[in-house]
Amino acid sequence: MTSPKHKEAENLLVGMYDDLRRLATTRIAHEKQAQTLQATALVHEAWLRLTAKGDQTWQSRGHFFGAASEAMRRILIDNARRKARVKHGGDQERVNSQEMNFLAETTPEEKVLLIDEGLKKLEVSNPERAKVVLLKFFGGLTNKEVGESLGMSERSVDRHWACAKAWLLQWMNGADSNEA
Amino acid sequence: MDSAMEDEASQRETLFYDALQISDPAEREEFLEQSCPSGSPLRAAVDAMLAAHDQADAFLVGSDPAMKPPAGLDESTSACSYTDASIGSWIGLYKLVQWLGEGGGGVVYMAEQEEPVQRQVALKIIKLGMDTRRVIARFEAERQVLALMNHPNIAHVLDAGATETGRPFFVMELVHGVRITDYCELNHVPLRQRLELFQQVCLAIQHAHQKGVIHRDIKPSNILITIRDGIPVPKIIDFGIAKATTGRLSERTIYASAEQVIGTPAYMSPEQMQGSGLDVDTRSDIYSLGVVLYELLASRPPFDNLALLRLGMDEMRRTIVAREPLRPSARVEALLRDRARETGRHAPAPEIPAARLRGDLDSIVMKALEKDRSRRYETANGLAIDIRRYLADEPISARPPSRLYQFRKLVRRNKVIFLAAAAVTAALVLGLGTSTWLFFKERESRRQAELGRANEMLLREQAEQREKIAKAVVLVEQNQLDEADRVIGEIPSASIAMVGEAVFRPLADWAASAGRYKRAAEYLSMLVQVDQYETSAVSTVDHTECAVALMELGDIAAYKRFCLRSVRQFESTKDPLSAERTIKNTLLLPADEHLLAALAPMAEVAAKSFPPAPGDRSWIWPYRCLSLALLEYRRGNYSAAIDWGKCGLGYIAQPPPCIAAIHVVLAMAYQGIGQTDNAREELSKSREMIDSKFKGGLYTGRHADGLWFDWLLARILEREAIADIEGEHRLLK
Repeated sequence: MTSPKHKEAENLLVGMYDDLRRLATTRIAHEKQAQTLQATALVHEAWLRLTAKGDQTWQSRGHFFGAASEAMRRILIDNARRKARVKHGGDQERVNSQEMNFLAETTPEEKVLLIDEGLKKLEVSNPERAKVVLLKFFGGLTNKEVGESLGMSERSVDRHWACAKAWLLQWMNGADSNEA
Repeated sequence: MDSAMEDEASQRETLFYDALQISDPAEREEFLEQSCPSGSPLRAAVDAMLAAHDQADAFLVGSDPAMKPPAGLDESTSACSYTDASIGSWIGLYKLVQWLGEGGGGVVYMAEQEEPVQRQVALKIIKLGMDTRRVIARFEAERQVLALMNHPNIAHVLDAGATETGRPFFVMELVHGVRITDYCELNHVPLRQRLELFQQVCLAIQHAHQKGVIHRDIKPSNILITIRDGIPVPKIIDFGIAKATTGRLSERTIYASAEQVIGTPAYMSPEQMQGSGLDVDTRSDIYSLGVVLYELLASRPPFDNLALLRLGMDEMRRTIVAREPLRPSARVEALLRDRARETGRHAPAPEIPAARLRGDLDSIVMKALEKDRSRRYETANGLAIDIRRYLADEPISARPPSRLYQFRKLVRRNKVIFLAAAAVTAALVLGLGTSTWLFFKERESRRQAELGRANEMLLREQAEQREKIAKAVVLVEQNQLDEADRVIGEIPSASIAMVGEAVFRPLADWAASAGRYKRAAEYLSMLVQVDQYETSAVSTVDHTECAVALMELGDIAAYKRFCLRSVRQFESTKDPLSAERTIKNTLLLPADEHLLAALAPMAEVAAKSFPPAPGDRSWIWPYRCLSLALLEYRRGNYSAAIDWGKCGLGYIAQPPPCIAAIHVVLAMAYQGIGQTDNAREELSKSREMIDSKFKGGLYTGRHADGLWFDWLLARILEREAIADIEGEHRLLK
C-alpha cells in the first residue's frame, strides 16, 4: 500500500477498508452455493484493485462505493468466468435464453455473468438505473446507501431496482427490449 | 428515445411499481383493472413486468441475496450496520454486552434485552454456511414444542432471528456455569455426587422427550453446572437449536468449514454419524448421555475427539458406527498404564479408580452406548433408574445373564417391528423411485439438487412421524395412555405401521377395557397389519383380540375382511397353536364353504397334535378342542363337534372362558341334532359362567380367570346360541 501523506488520509483509508469489508461480507454472506470466494479474499482483492493506480482519490463516500462496487463486479465476473471455464472444460456453454426454465438450470456463476451482460446493456440505455444495479447487486449496498451515493430518495432507488429486475429478466427471457 | 416514448415508459413503470406495492393478489388485480383494463397493450406490458419481477426474485436467490434484507429487519432500521457482531451493537432487540465463548456452531454473547422485559440473555450467532431462512423456519416449527418444556434443569430458548448479515441467531436463558465434566474434574467430585448430578440430567432429558423434544447435541459443553444456594445444579442448554441447525450433516460437511462438524463427533450417536442426520430419535440422546456418563467416570470420552478428527471423515464415521469402545474401567486402566510409561505427558489422571467402575457401572454405560439403538435404554428415565439402583445397591437392568441370550431375544422380539419398518421404507423408496423416473423423463436436465430437496422433505416428514412415535412409546411406557392415544391420532395413516406392537397392544387393551371397542378395533386392525409378516403364533392373540373387537363393534364387513386376511396369513402354517387360533378367530360367524375349505389343512395340523401326554396341565388342550369343536359345528358335523367339546371338558386345565365357550358350542351342536334338553342344559351352564363374569366386571379378575377377549369371544358365541335355541333374534345389533 502506498504510504499516505497525512494521518487523516490514513484514517480515511481505514474507514474505507471497513466499508469495503462490510460490503464484501454482505455480498458473500448469502452466497451459500457459490461460496468460492471468501469475504476477506474479496476485500483484499477489491482493495488491491482500488489502490492499484497508486494515488487514487475519491471525492465522496458515494464515489468510493461506486468504485468499490465496480471492483467487486470485476472480481466476481472473473471468478465466475474461471469457474464456468473449469466446469465446462473450456467450452463455455451458453444458456439458452429462449427457454423460460433456464432459471432453474443456471449456476450462480452463470447468473453473475448474465447479470453483468444485462448491466452493460442497461448502462447504455439507462445509465442511472445501471448505477443502482451496480451498487445494489455487485456492491451489496442498502437502498439507503445507494440513495446517499447517487443523491436520490430511497423510494427512487427501490423503484429503479424493481424496474431493473423486471427488465433484466425480460431481457434474459429473450424479449429484446431496449427501453429500460 | 423521443419524449412520447419516454412518457409511455414512465407511465408503464409507475403502474408497475405501484402495483408491486400491493401484495394482496386480488387487490392488485383490482388496482390494475381500474388503471388499465386487461387487453390493452399497456396492461400486457405491465403484466409482463410483474411476472418478470417475480421471476427475478427467484432467479437472484443464490446469486445475490444482498438485495434481500433478512426477514424481520427493515433496511431503514439497520442504518448502523455492522458485519461482525461487536460488543455494544444491537441485534434485533438485543444489545451485545460481552463475548462468552465460541463453539463449533457459533459465537455466544451475553446480551441485554430491553423490551418487553429487561433481562440478560445468552445470544448465539450461528456460523456462516447455513441457510438462514431454513434454520429459522425449522426453529419456528419447533418453537411451540419448546415452549411446552418447563423444567428447572433446562434452559429455555427464547427467540430466534437473523442478523443483518443474514446469520441465524438464537436467544437463550443466560446460564452462568461450567461444563459438567470440568466441574467434576476441577472440584474432584466423588463418584456418588457425579452420578447424582448425571441422574438429574437424565430426568431433564426425559422431561424433554416426553414433550416430544429431542436435544440432538448433548455434550458436556451443553450441560452446565451452576451453583444455587451452594448446591450444584445442572442446566441443559441449546435445546431446539441442534434440530434447527443440524438438519443435514451431509450439507454441513460439504458447505460448512470443517470445524462445524468437528465440534462434537465424540458425542454423536452412530445413527447421527451415519445417515442423513434425520433418522434420529430419543435414543440418539440416550447414546450421547452415555458418552457424557463415560466421560464423567473415565475422565475421557469413549473416543477421543482429537484422535477422531485425525482419522478423517470416513474413518471417523466407521469408528463411531462400528468400533466397540473400551469399557470405562478398562479405559481408566489403560490411561494409568500410559501415564506410568510416559511421565512426560501431563494429561489429568482419571479420578475414579477402575475397580469402582468394573461391573455395574461398566454395564450401564455400555448399554447406553450400544451401536444398535434398540438395545440401548428405551428412555432416559430407564438410564436414571439404573443409576439409582446402582446407588441403592440394587440389581440393575443393564446386566443380563448373557449378552448373546439377550441379543437373540431382542432380535426375536423386534422382528415384527423391524419387518414392518422395512416394508414402509421399501414403499417409500419405491415411491421415490417412480417419481424420480418421471421427473427425469419429463425434464432430463433438471438438477439433482431439487430432487434432493424433495427427498429431504419426505425424510423430514418421516423423521417427524418417528418423533411422534417415539413420544407415544414413552407415554405408553409411563402409562399415560390418554395422551399416547392423542399423539397416535396425529400420525398420518401412511406412517402408522411404523408405530409397532409395543404401542398398539397396550393401547388396544386400554381402549377395550374402557369399552371403547371402536378405538380398540382400530388399534387392533393396525396391530394385525404390523403382524402380517409374522407367521408364528405370537401374533395370533392379536388376531383374536381384533376379531373379537370387530364383532363386538358389530362391523361384520370388517370382520369378514379380517378373516380373509387372517386365513391367507396362516394358510400354510405347520404350527398347531397358530392353526387352532386362526380357526377360532375366523369362525365367530357361520362360514361359507370357501372359508371352511381353507381351514381344513389347519384343522389337520391342530388335530394331529393330539393326544397330550398323560397328566399334561396345559391350557392348550381345552382351547384346541374348542377350536375343533367350533369348526365341526360350522361344518355341520354336530356329533363330531360334541365329541371334541366333551374332550375339551375332560382335561386337568379348566380355563374358565374356554370352558364357557365349549358349553356354548356343545349347546348349539345338541340343538343341531335335535337334543334340545341337552342344548338348554349346556346353555344354562355357559350362561351362569358368562353372566357372573360380566356382572363382576370384565377387567377386575385375575389373569387365571381369563383375559377380556377370551370372555368376549365366549359371549359372542353365546349370543348366537341363544338366538338359535331360544329363537330370539338379538344376535347382531
